[in-house]
Amino acid sequence: MRRVVHKLFWIWQLEKEQAWVNEMASHGYALEHAGRLRFEFDETEPDKYIYKEIFLKGWGESAENIKYFRFLEEMGIKVVCYINYPGTCWVYTRALKKDYPDGIELYSDIDSKITYQKVMAAYMILVIALTLGAGILNLWMALFNSYRILPLNLVCAILVFALCIAAVIAEINFLANLRRLKKERKLHE
Amino acid sequence: MPQLALTEAVFYILLSLQKPLHGYGIIQNVGELSNGRVKLAAGTLYGALNSLVDKGWIDALPENPESRKKEYVITNSGLIVLKEELARLSELVDNGKRLLGGN
Repeated sequence: MRRVVHKLFWIWQLEKEQAWVNEMASHGYALEHAGRLRFEFDETEPDKYIYKEIFLKGWGESAENIKYFRFLEEMGIKVVCYINYPGTCWVYTRALKKDYPDGIELYSDIDSKITYQKVMAAYMILVIALTLGAGILNLWMALFNSYRILPLNLVCAILVFALCIAAVIAEINFLANLRRLKKERKLHE
Repeated sequence: MPQLALTEAVFYILLSLQKPLHGYGIIQNVGELSNGRVKLAAGTLYGALNSLVDKGWIDALPENPESRKKEYVITNSGLIVLKEELARLSELVDNGKRLLGGN
């Protein structure tokens, strides 16, 4: 039986969302489709699947990503669905838990972990730039519009600035991870 | 110019591809060769295989329509690189043993 859950996760809350999806799987609800706010689960046996969410460059339909998805399937990792964002896609993958008892790990060396953190950090800069631009525009319209005061713009500016601050926090985390990995690479592979 | 050191993953992938193998076969073979110590992850393997094909160190074989799994095999230049790396590693081991007094 299909169960639909509406839940909001921001783009930088990948790990939190993944933990929730895996918790659902541990209770016997396997994710079959995800939208930006909507998650669809099918009832299955508890702990049958383990999920991993990843960011990839380009849209899910791109030739390069389709090639990668096929390769993952050869490894027993199925792409359940993906959500496209500008220049990137958020991919939901799963495997049988008996095949991946310790979880799905897609990167086992420092270089590929560094590449992944770089993609995340670059995307977050885009989010920061967009939210900052939208926030400034709304604030300007609210404060300097000579015809009338626009409280809606002020509310929008506050909300968008809040998003921008959250994205900055996420960016700091990605950069800290990147720095730690680069430091580690000086000594180890 | 001397060749830069290979990563452990690349060394084991090249070593495994003396016979044609597909991705999952490589992961299993590397695990067996290293007694389970080296566990290649799918994303890392995918990136490494693409880089090795670009460098001409391995070849992607024509796809088998039955299995739909792509197989790879080492090329002559890959074999030369692998032998050079083995010589470099032997030098490290020999010097380590000589200076630390091991056998």
